[in-house]
Amino acid sequence: MKKITTGRLRVSGDQAAPTQTIDVKGKACPIPVVKTAKAMREMSAGQVLEVFATDPGVEPDMHAWSKQTGNELISIDQDAGVFRILLRKV
Amino acid sequence: MSDDGDASVLYVMTHGKESPERCATPFFLAASAAAMDADVSIYFTMNGPQLLQKGVAEQIGPKGENGEKLSFFIEQALDCGVKLLVCQPSLDLNDLTQQDLIDGVRMIGGAAFNDMAMEADAVITF
Repeated sequence: MKKITTGRLRVSGDQAAPTQTIDVKGKACPIPVVKTAKAMREMSAGQVLEVFATDPGVEPDMHAWSKQTGNELISIDQDAGVFRILLRKV
Repeated sequence: MSDDGDASVLYVMTHGKESPERCATPFFLAASAAAMDADVSIYFTMNGPQLLQKGVAEQIGPKGENGEKLSFFIEQALDCGVKLLVCQPSLDLNDLTQQDLIDGVRMIGGAAFNDMAMEADAVITF
């Protein structure tokens, strides 16, 4: 079983500058994943999506989502209950 | 299971409007799976087709008067590409016809259902 990692998974420098941001703070499962999937469909390969969420399940969900879709989970950071997730479209 | 979007999940819903607390979960799990690029269907049997009757989804919700109505969860699932399926005997059991159901519900038979179950990567029953 994959270990759930907190904090930055990979240092990507400027490559991780987001091209789009979605805010799903206060939204419960499955909305963060559903909105992420929708936003990513509109993006081009290599572009980075930034997601702000407060759903406590969002961390394992984003790991699962990226594993199944093949999109890269660059990092998950948490600050005062708000998760900031960076994903790169493949 | 492949990682290129070919995974498929079949949900089976057997509960109807007698248990509103059970009504939303198959829809939001299916929506999650569809957001993961899986091919996702929900098959409604036994009491399940009651949830697809026109007007019902606006009346009930998993938390009663608090929280979202079932219609919210159905629309979310459809928006994600989840397919809704029923079979004729299940409709007849509930004295329903396809005309009584919301738009977008597809009619299949027992053989098609079993074929989907055999082909699916996962079958999850509620």
